Amino acid sequence: MTLFEARHIAASYVRAGEAVQLFSDASFTLEEGKIYDLTGPSGSGKSTLLRACALLMEHERGELYLEGRESAAFEPVQWRRRVCLVPQVPTLVAGTVRDNLVFPWKLKVHAGQAPPDDAALASLMEQAELVGIELGRDVSQLSGGQAARVALLRAFATKPQVLLLDEVDAALDDESAAAIGRLTSSLVGAGTTCLRIRHRSADGFASGTFALKDGTLMLQGDGSIDTF
Amino acid sequence: MSPGSVDIGFVELFASALLMLVAGVVSYRLELGQAKRILVSTLRCFIQLLAVGFLLQYLFEYQTWWIMMLVIAVMLVAATQIATSRTKSSVPGLIPAVFLSITVSSLAVGMLIAEGVVKADPWYNAQQLIPIIGMIIGNAMSATAVAIDRLFADMDARENEMFSLVALGATPREAAFSSLKAAVGAGMTPVLATMSAAGIVAIPGMMGGQILSGVDPLVAAKYQIVVMLMLSAATTIAIVMACFLTYRKRFSQSGYYLDKGLRL
Repeated sequence: MTLFEARHIAASYVRAGEAVQLFSDASFTLEEGKIYDLTGPSGSGKSTLLRACALLMEHERGELYLEGRESAAFEPVQWRRRVCLVPQVPTLVAGTVRDNLVFPWKLKVHAGQAPPDDAALASLMEQAELVGIELGRDVSQLSGGQAARVALLRAFATKPQVLLLDEVDAALDDESAAAIGRLTSSLVGAGTTCLRIRHRSADGFASGTFALKDGTLMLQGDGSIDTF
Repeated sequence: MSPGSVDIGFVELFASALLMLVAGVVSYRLELGQAKRILVSTLRCFIQLLAVGFLLQYLFEYQTWWIMMLVIAVMLVAATQIATSRTKSSVPGLIPAVFLSITVSSLAVGMLIAEGVVKADPWYNAQQLIPIIGMIIGNAMSATAVAIDRLFADMDARENEMFSLVALGATPREAAFSSLKAAVGAGMTPVLATMSAAGIVAIPGMMGGQILSGVDPLVAAKYQIVVMLMLSAATTIAIVMACFLTYRKRFSQSGYYLDKGLRL
C-alpha cells in the first residue's frame, strides 16, 4: 500500500541573492513497510528534498500526500509529527537519555498522551543495541554513535508514519552505522515507511534506491516511481 | 529650589569640562583615535542636559496634560530608535514591537508610581512624571536591547537543535522557549545586580543627586527604593513583551526556523 507520495515537487535555494533551482519535478512514492535509499552527488538537493517533504521549507510547486490526504489538509505540526525528519547532526536536549526519549511528549502536539514508561524505553534501547546504557545517563557522556541512535530512537518512539533520515550514519564508525541500519529495519513495519539519505555502500535493508541527479529522480531496484 | 541646595555657577560648570582632558590625553597617548568621539560626547552631554533643564523649567511653569503627553511620546520614539539601532540582528517588525514594549511598561508602571506612591498633583505634574517615566524608559530601552540581542544570537546558536525540535512537531514557541528564557534572564540581570549592590558599592545616581541638592538622606533613600522596585518591574514587562512579540519573526508562516541559509 502506498503510504507517502510526492508529486512534481520543485524547490530552489537562494544563494547570493539568486534563486538556484535544485529540482523542478521530483515525484516518488513510498510503500508501507519498506525502506528506500536516496542517493545523488553532493549539492544535488537530497537534504532539501527531505526538508520539503517534512514541511521544513517551502516547495514552489507540487503536492505531498500521506495515505492519500494532501499536506495542506494537516496543521504543519501535525504533518511533521507524522512525517518526521531526523537531521544529520544529532542534537539532543540537555539532560538524561530518558529526558530526551520522552521529550516529544512535552510538546503540545502530543498533549493528552502518556509518554512511554521505563520498560518500553528499555526495550527500545535494547533494539538499538544500547543495552549497557542506563536511562538516567547524561547525554553529554554518550559517544557520537550512541547519541545518533538516541536521536533516532527519540523520533521512532513517537511512531511517525514516515521517517526521513538525513545521513544519520555519516559521521559514525562502521559498527555504529550497521547498528543504525539494523535498528531502522527492525522498526519499519506495518503502517510505516522510511527514506534514507546514505553515502555508505548498500546494507541490504533498502527495497529501492532513488537517485537524484540533474533535478530529477530515478528509481533503481524495485519499488515505484514516476519520472518526468 | 529646596533649602540647602547649592547652585553651580556657569563658570564652574564650563571649567569642569576640562576634566575631559584626562580622556583626551589618554586617547592621544594610546593612539585610540577617540578624540572626535570624546569631543562630540562632551558637547552632546552639555547640550542635551541643559536643553532638558530649560525644557523642564518651561514645563513646570506652563504644563498642561497634552504637552506632557507629547513630551513623553517624543521620549518613547527616541528610546525606540536608540534601542533598535543597538541590536545587531536585523529583524523585520522589530521597531513597532520595541515601541509597544517600552510604551506599555513605562506608562503602566510609571503612572502607578506617579499617581499611587508619589501622588503627583495635578496628575500630569512634570516634576514627578518626567523623572519617573524618563528613568523607566531609559532602563527599559537598555534592557530591551540586551534581551533582543541575546534572543536572536541564542536562537542562531541553537539552529540545529531547534531544527530537530520542529521536525518532531514542536511549535515555534516550544522550539524557541529556552532562548526566550535566556534572553529574559539576561535582560533582568543588570537591574537586579544594581538593586543588590545599591548603597554598599554605590550610591545610586538619583539618590546621590537628591542628597547633593539638599534632600534629607532618608527621604532620598525611600525614593530610591521605590525607583529600584519600579525599574525592576518595568524592565521585566518590557523585555518579556519585546521577546515574545519578536521571536516568531524568525520562523516561517508554517513554523520552521529561518536559519541563515533561508533568510533573504
